Amino acid sequence: MRFLIEHMLRDSAERYPNKDAIVAGDARLSYSEFAQRVTGLAVSLRKLNIQRQDRVAVFLTPSTDLPIAIFGALQTGAVFVPMHHGLFPEQVVHILNDCGAKILITDSMRLKKLAPVIDQVDHLETLIVDKVLTKSKLQQHDFAELSLPISDNIKSCSIGKDLAAILYTSGSTGRPKGVMLSHNNIIAGAEIVSEYLSIRSTDRLLAALPFSFDAGLNHLMTTVLTGATTVMLEFKFGREIVKKIMDEGITGMGGVPSLWSLLAQPSSGLGKQPLPLRYITNTGGAMPQHILTKLRSLLPATDIFLMYGLTEAFRSTYLPPSQLGRRPTSMGKAIPNTEILVVNRNGKLCQPGEEGELVHHGPTVSLGYWNQPELTAKVLRPHPITQPGRTSGDMVCYSGDIVKTDESGYLFFVGRRDNQIKSAGFRISPTEIEDVICRLNPIQQAAVVGVPDAVLGQHLVAFAIAEDPAETLDPKEILAKCGSALPRHMLPRRIVLVDDLPMTPSGKVDYPKLTVRANSGVKG
Amino acid sequence: MKNIDEITTEVLNWVYEKFPLAKNNKISDNDSLLESGIVDSLGILDIVAFLEETFSIQLSDEDMVADHFETVRSIASFTHIKISGSNM
Repeated sequence: MRFLIEHMLRDSAERYPNKDAIVAGDARLSYSEFAQRVTGLAVSLRKLNIQRQDRVAVFLTPSTDLPIAIFGALQTGAVFVPMHHGLFPEQVVHILNDCGAKILITDSMRLKKLAPVIDQVDHLETLIVDKVLTKSKLQQHDFAELSLPISDNIKSCSIGKDLAAILYTSGSTGRPKGVMLSHNNIIAGAEIVSEYLSIRSTDRLLAALPFSFDAGLNHLMTTVLTGATTVMLEFKFGREIVKKIMDEGITGMGGVPSLWSLLAQPSSGLGKQPLPLRYITNTGGAMPQHILTKLRSLLPATDIFLMYGLTEAFRSTYLPPSQLGRRPTSMGKAIPNTEILVVNRNGKLCQPGEEGELVHHGPTVSLGYWNQPELTAKVLRPHPITQPGRTSGDMVCYSGDIVKTDESGYLFFVGRRDNQIKSAGFRISPTEIEDVICRLNPIQQAAVVGVPDAVLGQHLVAFAIAEDPAETLDPKEILAKCGSALPRHMLPRRIVLVDDLPMTPSGKVDYPKLTVRANSGVKG
Repeated sequence: MKNIDEITTEVLNWVYEKFPLAKNNKISDNDSLLESGIVDSLGILDIVAFLEETFSIQLSDEDMVADHFETVRSIASFTHIKISGSNM
């Protein structure tokens, strides 16, 4: 019986022991090697006193170590917390503290950057790295030694309802929050997506999206479920992706709009030769129409699936490729085994054309936010439609995304209910950026908004009020200071110094008004 | 025509402005931009746009290789070749 994520690996290792499971650069792991290294790591983690539901944080670049770390943690009954490899110490420390990770699995390059702050993280006991550093007080172990292959299978006492992963993502305010996903959620997501993408064991999928991101993680899980192959890649140029697709015979890949923009550049070489790609999927923001048109002409034999999902409900909708010609701007309809409702302010179902909030009901609705019951209660709520037999424990997810449907029920994105920004597939909370601007500079107040961007979806523009009105501040200097604390996707494109910010009658920053100002490019 | 040193200075100043991490880490014109993770795939697109606009050159598909973008110095030297080429 398969009810835990690691059971998917166990089953695929039995059925396809010699098939490629993970490919990263020159490294290749067959399913049996993958399963044995995972067991080796799980046994080691047990010896390090990892208990059911303890958190194991994983901060690695795309490599074979990354999926081994994820599945190794799961097999001990622990919860894995994947972190994007591009995060800075500031964000990593927040996540480690917030989730109370006992173990951090990382590499020596990242650990060097974390070294000045890592000893201050509460609860962290052990570091597992590719090369042991001498500096930290924490106990350290070598990843390769801990994950030597073991052919036995060890079992955890987890159940499908247990927490399996915490994915950190931003909302509209505050610091990133951990979305809790159960084994059941992740298995359901893998089954649903591999169903509508028809993923088979013969597929070889390119993991261009990070596993810290719901769609990237889902990709890994669909391949492990079906016995397909995950090919991992860290890239700088579009042509590296195209080369990888050719060299590895890639049949499917997922991306975010900025990735497709990169591939649509002539220099990527996309379309110069026929590719084995059976399908591509887009998520993490609407695909710009000019990019979609280009991809359709460059990849005439490839199915393009436009998908939509939010971490809180894992995966939600997709547009079948057959509808692309008629409804190129649609988000599609609900994924299998899922109900998507559009609900207006009065809690009633919207008519076609009427704008309302997208509400998700199905097996991928997450367990809410880690350690944030109040915030969870705002997002996970009882089903809006009462019906005999429906229990109060059956929670739906209120997405915060405003949508509408056409007469045939296809969904269209309208906007956000709040001020959340989305750039290059990342969700960004304005207040997190504002706090950094004010903390590192003589700025008394800042407000950050998203401005439409042809490549990124949105880019950030900051408005800031100097602490001392008489002082002349250099926006470039402010940005440079922020650049030490924020990865580039969180960094404003420009900073506009102002004397005041537009306010609402209730005394809050009027973000919609500010967005209009940023869009019109008015300075000051 | 601008010489390599002038181009290097111009590129370095622009990189400092657009990639604050390069400035904070005191990246010199011979330090790695790609390996260090300071410039990612989208950053390269920004660099290309900057070079094409500032130096009135057109980068070809073959120009888009890591060797050309590894350091500020390597960016400047292939830009210099492109400028010389377009002036011939």
